[in-house]
Amino acid sequence: MLLTCPSCKTKNFLDPYPFWNFKGKTKCAGCGKVWRLETAGGACVSGPEAADGQADLLPGFAEKPDYSPISGPGLTRSAPRARKDSVCRPIPIQKNVRGQIVSGHPLKKEDLVGSRPKFIVERT
Amino acid sequence: MAKETASKSATQQGFEDFCHETFDFKKAFGKPEALKGYRVLSCTQYILGPSCASYMAELGAEVIKIEAPRRGEAMRHTTPFNEPFLYPLSRWVPERGTGLGFLGANPNEYFISVDFHRPEGQAIVKKLAAKSDVMVENYRPGTFDRWGIGYRQLREINPRLVYCWLGGFGGWGPGRVRASYDILGQSQGGNFGMTGKPEFLGGTPSKHTIWLADYWGGMMGAVQILAALYWRDKISGEGTFTEYSQVHGVTRQLEYALPLYGRHGVTRERWGNWDTQLCVHGIIKCGKSSYPKSENPQEQEEGYILISAYDDKDFARLCQAVGDGKTAEKYAKHDARVKPQSQMEIYPWLEKWAADKTKEQVAETLDKAGINNQPVWNAKEVANHPHWQQRGAVQWLDDPTFGDLMHQGPAYKMSHTPPRLKWALKPVGADNEYILGKLAGLSSEELRRLEEQECI
Amino acid sequence: MATPKVAPWPAIPIAKPDEVYGGLSDQAKEYPTFLETILRQEKNFEKPEALSRLRVLDCSTRMMIGHWCSSMLSELGAEVIQVEPPGGDPLRKNTPFGRREYMFRDKETGEEVGGQFLHEMRNKLSITLNLETEEGREILRKLAVHADVVIENAPPGQWDSWGIGYRQLKEINPRLIYCWVGQRGQWGPLKDKAGVLDPTAQAACGFVHGTGDPKEFGGQPTRSALWMADHVGGTTAAMGILAAVLYRENISGEGQFVEATAAEAIIRILDYSWAWYSMDGSIRPRYGNWDLAINIYAVNPCKDGYMMVGGGHDRLWYRIWRVVGDEYPAVEEDILGDLHLREVADRLGHDMQVKTYTMLGEWLKDNPRSEAERKLSKQQVASGGVLYVNEVAEYPHFKYRGHVAETESPFYGKILYGTTPFLQHKTPGRLKWLGRPTGHDNEDVYRRLLGFAREDFARLKKSNVI
Repeated sequence: MLLTCPSCKTKNFLDPYPFWNFKGKTKCAGCGKVWRLETAGGACVSGPEAADGQADLLPGFAEKPDYSPISGPGLTRSAPRARKDSVCRPIPIQKNVRGQIVSGHPLKKEDLVGSRPKFIVERT
Repeated sequence: MAKETASKSATQQGFEDFCHETFDFKKAFGKPEALKGYRVLSCTQYILGPSCASYMAELGAEVIKIEAPRRGEAMRHTTPFNEPFLYPLSRWVPERGTGLGFLGANPNEYFISVDFHRPEGQAIVKKLAAKSDVMVENYRPGTFDRWGIGYRQLREINPRLVYCWLGGFGGWGPGRVRASYDILGQSQGGNFGMTGKPEFLGGTPSKHTIWLADYWGGMMGAVQILAALYWRDKISGEGTFTEYSQVHGVTRQLEYALPLYGRHGVTRERWGNWDTQLCVHGIIKCGKSSYPKSENPQEQEEGYILISAYDDKDFARLCQAVGDGKTAEKYAKHDARVKPQSQMEIYPWLEKWAADKTKEQVAETLDKAGINNQPVWNAKEVANHPHWQQRGAVQWLDDPTFGDLMHQGPAYKMSHTPPRLKWALKPVGADNEYILGKLAGLSSEELRRLEEQECI
Repeated sequence: MATPKVAPWPAIPIAKPDEVYGGLSDQAKEYPTFLETILRQEKNFEKPEALSRLRVLDCSTRMMIGHWCSSMLSELGAEVIQVEPPGGDPLRKNTPFGRREYMFRDKETGEEVGGQFLHEMRNKLSITLNLETEEGREILRKLAVHADVVIENAPPGQWDSWGIGYRQLKEINPRLIYCWVGQRGQWGPLKDKAGVLDPTAQAACGFVHGTGDPKEFGGQPTRSALWMADHVGGTTAAMGILAAVLYRENISGEGQFVEATAAEAIIRILDYSWAWYSMDGSIRPRYGNWDLAINIYAVNPCKDGYMMVGGGHDRLWYRIWRVVGDEYPAVEEDILGDLHLREVADRLGHDMQVKTYTMLGEWLKDNPRSEAERKLSKQQVASGGVLYVNEVAEYPHFKYRGHVAETESPFYGKILYGTTPFLQHKTPGRLKWLGRPTGHDNEDVYRRLLGFAREDFARLKKSNVI
């Protein structure tokens, strides 16, 4: 459910699985105001009403009306990650987990022998 | 069936060494290949079709993967979290890489690029099909027929060809036009709705996180192909057409659900990590993480373990290990334990006991008591485990194009003609010159011309 | 407890070809009609069987992996003899929640069998043999002379120590293909202990850890409802056996030793887990019903259940939002205006997936599965609802193609079951019978293969050898 904060208009993404049938409090990631609401089948059936205290469940993600992203500890729930330093962009890899060479980074035509990287062909 | 472990006689010790030697994957290349001399065309994309052909590549068939020129098929452009890629994607596009979604479905193969839409491309496919034993394709039903390279056309050129089509919903019937993906096959086939925590415990249906319908579907296609090759070579001399529908395969797997529904009108529902037929035979949470100081969030999670003690005497020993005489008495008989209300008591009771332990500590206690168990391992634990490494289930591969990679080995072992892993994959069109030269008779000039026109 | 009256299946009659293809142009219906002429299962019994020359002894007990393997072979025509301990394979007694009323009863003998075993006991003969006795093992040696394939799943080394392992049987029948199946292996630090069953394999190979909702969604590692690793492992065992048969026939004239485990079958298909780990130490996380590598490609809640929608590349991505925009123009506008979602690769980050599926959820909440599918299919987007088995059994497309069918067993009556997916032009897979009482074929098999006479039967029954 998309919760547009009545106060600051931040778009709070209350993601489907945990928020489909939800009763309790969540917190706007933009301004910190706590809102009580109830959802049933993904639709809001009661609230959002201003509330006090701690949120029961944080949004999955949020963004300002101009699309600038808001996420972080205490603001949104953390993402499942495969490593500590996940970035979700192509990462260049030259040495693998046991220190050996692997062709994990972009190349140029002159780096190739046929379809193979030169530095792989020429390994000792 | 006798439950005692076989005695440690001289023969027994000899047997394990015998197995280790017989199935040693490092010795595989000294042994012949079951499908030596067979040729397979893999005109496939995503996972269902490609994996089917790859199982024959493991057995030694010459498998030729045919993709769209320059950038190859769509699966090369998928990779987890958008991070790891293997470069180059092709010699024309070296700044891009092949995503790891492509990995596992195309090992040991030769890679050529041909544009099926063009008459010259179709002519090339016909030349290759004339010399092949198997054609595997998973394009929309009727596509290859329209392009003049379907079963009806190719069997005129090569009556011995085994033509294997795989797809989501099959080529005929009211739903034949539906595009399909693996998890759609899972959803519609019925195994998705049964997996996961029950509704009344706040659970939701869960997909199987492997492309089960695709990869296993490819295996089913391969079983059909091997049977068809046997029938052709041994008995009939004839090729055939095989159709495999992913969603059909999933429905085949539903165990007692259909007989139960047909006879009693009862719909099988989710039962989470427990078992509907045996108790104790389920996966419980252990309260502590095995690697609390790890920086990797996956390792910081608490552990889980499968406990299997469904025979009455095993259950009694489990209760002893946990130290609870009351439960032992109340649920001494399997009939009492296996009821849903009993299970809802027993598993929380076990989780309470495990709440202050790691999965390794639980495993140790259970091992001492002689109770079957299996910790739930993550990818790193499996990758580094000596058992899987020794057996070659996971192997460090010196890939000729990409370097040092860990890769899965073949799923099964054979003593005389072991399937084996040769390379993980190759860039798009890496073998154009070699394959099109030797099989399609194209001169280097023709190859250059077709390449310029992006027909190959 | 009153048992509800069960309506006959199918509740809605199965469509005829005219209803399915009527109204289509000749060109549109030409290809599917051609396929029907070569693939419809009604014609199965007019056609030969691919594996009818092979005889298989399935001696596995208590696990599904061996039975699944022999089903693959029996559906394709092999003669499969299931060799069960006297009293039957203990799997016969499995029934959901121990409910005897769910079991199937043999009309003549009253013997009960559970649905799981029944469903896999297809096209197979059943004999009993007690391999715990030396006499039983001697009989197995004699049977092995007549077999092409033997499948067993005894604890590692047990058959070898009994003198009926690969090393011994190959001396008796050098053409024999001997297949051991299990969960983790018959050698290695983790070799199987007696009594292990799926989901042992699922837990050992990384599958359970990777399946289910992430902890951040309140989830946990999840096993398959099914003994799924057994099914996949059994399929790999069948591949190994058929490859061995081909090699024997083509080249060597000899059998060999095949080993297939449920865990390694799954390891083989855990696609990128191993390479990903080796490249940068990543440990594959659970991602629930979403996907690490493709967005949109997920199952999410909808008005009447759960809905799968797929479309990662641009062509489909924009079509999905067009469908959504018909009812929620503001949602489509927001998505189209978001530069962070412009590139296919950028849509993969978790934050973007949260946004994507939350916005999609605004539309899904108002659309039941059938409606969502209808609207999306107009734009050629792959989608479909999560179906429960009662819905699968009545789904028109599956009924029409015979994914689900009813058979009438002379022993057990009418049984609804999942049919073989081995559709073929020349040698299709087929069902001959479903279910077989324990030892039903003792008379036939022992007489014709081993020449047993009446006194042999009497003596061996008395001493509990058969």
